[in-house]
Amino acid sequence: MTEKKRLNPEELAKYFKDEFKTSIKDLKIKEKVAGLQKNKANSIWIKVDSNIFKQVVKHLIDLQYPHLAVTSGNDLGKVIELIYHFTLYYEDRIGEIAINISVELPKSKPEIDSICDLIPGALVTEREKMEFLGVKFKGIPDERRLFVPEDIPKDVYPWRRDETGPNKFYKNLHEVKK
Amino acid sequence: MRFAMLPKIFSQMFKKPYTNKFPAKYTPSSTTNFLEKVGSGEAKLFPPIETPKGFRGKIKYDRDSCIGCKLCINVCPSGAIEFIEETKKIKIYLARCTFCSQCNDVCPKNCLSMSDEFLLADTDKYSPDLIVK
Amino acid sequence: MKQKSTTKTSYHIPIGPIHPALKEPVHFEFEIDGEKIVDVDVKLGHVHRGVEWASRRRNPVQILYLAERICGICSYCHPAAFTLAVEKIADIQVPERAEYLRVIQGELERICSHILWAGVAAHEIGFDTVLYLTWQIRERALDLTEFLTGNRITKGIMMIGGIRRDITPDMIPRIKKDLEHFKKDFETLRHVFLDDKTVKMRSQGAGVLTKDEAMKLCAVGPTGRASGVKKDVRFSESYFAYGDLDIDLITPDVLTGEVNGDVYDRIIQRLLEVKQAIEIIEQAIDKMPSGDILAESKIPKLLAQLKKASGEDIGRHEAPRGEVIHYVKLDGNESPYTWKVRAPTYNNILPWIPMLKGEQIADIPIVAASTDPCMSCTNRVTIVQGSKRYNLNREELHRLCVQKTRRLSK
Repeated sequence: MTEKKRLNPEELAKYFKDEFKTSIKDLKIKEKVAGLQKNKANSIWIKVDSNIFKQVVKHLIDLQYPHLAVTSGNDLGKVIELIYHFTLYYEDRIGEIAINISVELPKSKPEIDSICDLIPGALVTEREKMEFLGVKFKGIPDERRLFVPEDIPKDVYPWRRDETGPNKFYKNLHEVKK
Repeated sequence: MRFAMLPKIFSQMFKKPYTNKFPAKYTPSSTTNFLEKVGSGEAKLFPPIETPKGFRGKIKYDRDSCIGCKLCINVCPSGAIEFIEETKKIKIYLARCTFCSQCNDVCPKNCLSMSDEFLLADTDKYSPDLIVK
Repeated sequence: MKQKSTTKTSYHIPIGPIHPALKEPVHFEFEIDGEKIVDVDVKLGHVHRGVEWASRRRNPVQILYLAERICGICSYCHPAAFTLAVEKIADIQVPERAEYLRVIQGELERICSHILWAGVAAHEIGFDTVLYLTWQIRERALDLTEFLTGNRITKGIMMIGGIRRDITPDMIPRIKKDLEHFKKDFETLRHVFLDDKTVKMRSQGAGVLTKDEAMKLCAVGPTGRASGVKKDVRFSESYFAYGDLDIDLITPDVLTGEVNGDVYDRIIQRLLEVKQAIEIIEQAIDKMPSGDILAESKIPKLLAQLKKASGEDIGRHEAPRGEVIHYVKLDGNESPYTWKVRAPTYNNILPWIPMLKGEQIADIPIVAASTDPCMSCTNRVTIVQGSKRYNLNREELHRLCVQKTRRLSK
């Protein structure tokens, strides 16, 4: 295997834009300085369509096997947004670049391909999104509940802010006695 | 080396144990009897270790300098402070306090401070010992 | 016997949330064949507390204290990651002296946590004397923490835009004296753990995690580094003052020359990190600049500034157990719209499965404890309604583990 050249954030942005052209909706590069020597920490934020998401991840693995930190989710009214947090180049001194890929899924059909065959470590975080937001991952090897207790019915999604949310299940303990 | 801990165990036999024997050398079988004996002078109570200078113990409230601005209620993470409308002063419930001292930092008149009292256990959550007025 | 059959079926043993062999509440189900483990299944969710939901009705200063109580032993890393995320969104520039002070507090917490782990690992093997020795060493570290911050465990020292308490020049002689003591204690611990034949026999070759598996399953922290994956957030990202200091990436081949990925490598990894933490604190004290410690010392002004900010960002920190990442989204209200916490043990759950397959039952406590799990950090999301359902009280497992040690040492 030949040694691949290390790309800086602008070249990485060009690498993705050249391959996927119009399917990328938005791309931002952010940086923050810290300490006396003012070294920079870089991060890239990309927004893609849900149908080409798996190819974007494959394209990323061609560069260097990334480390998937976690996926976070947002309920934005009519869509559910999933954000995958990857990091690259973590073996270089002050050279790590964080790549955050976000996908928007409509609430009427929240389905997306699972990436467990490419990155087996994504199983725990995908199971968590299934039970908390109601997203369906096609091809996931294990569909059981992870954190939510079994007394809560199956169609209650605790992170959502609409009528399937957990509003019936909590008590305001402050107002019991004071 | 097979038993690397042995020299250290030998030297420990000649040293004083590290534990501080607060309140007594062995646990008393009845706490109330023990406290009565201490009161009448029969038994001795070992003191606890000294607390350092910035220790966060029970909160102290200076009622006269308080202006009723409610900034401490905004910042308390556990809702332990209650505002009394008639006198415009506050009441602090120690059963909910997390001893973070954030209210001390926020108060513009510096009327809240932390003492070094930490022996605060009680059986009733709302007993008068645990409400600071 | 009811039926005559010559096939052997495997047994299922559940090792439930409350068990003397485990440090943390997690439910294992083992499929065993004789004494060997064939398959493992892990179930979580026993300490769900509703932390992220509780943040939807609190402002960022209150969330700092809520984040601290996610876990007792890693109680500094959660506020640290949260403030990193919020400072990136609201564009707050932290003064340099505060960055160095944050490094010192973080490394002090790392020393306390790794020494506690060393004691628990020795207890799982059956070496109780070392447990008491490590607790004595840890008392000095906790006394130093109490002197610097006011409390031993929940320090309450992080603030958005800086740090709450300063280290004045009259505190520095005591810190230096305690660091000298730590160096001597580290030598004692190293001699007891790494030169002892029993510990070597018990832990070498047990619970192996290869580098390939560690990368595919996204292992973090000392668990990943002991298998050869070179990931350390302090080394590769410039945050706090780690960009100015001289830090190496430690893997077990610094001491032994080769990386096996077993329990013995993890012991070496954590003890070397204690030594590295002592050196980092010394460097930070020497290089610390002067200045103020808070970017905005009036809290109402800070809260107003955060209320106007909007955006989303992530904050990452290297906790004693691995990489902590928080994702925050602010939208112009008092409380954040979304707060996602991911503790390091979350990623270290899946590596348990290849580590435990092929091992004997008596090895379960030491292999499970060698990844240093912290279940309070892992289970925190929305509603609390379940209660503990398992009541297994068998002391068998711990007894088996101690018996194996006695067998090996004859």
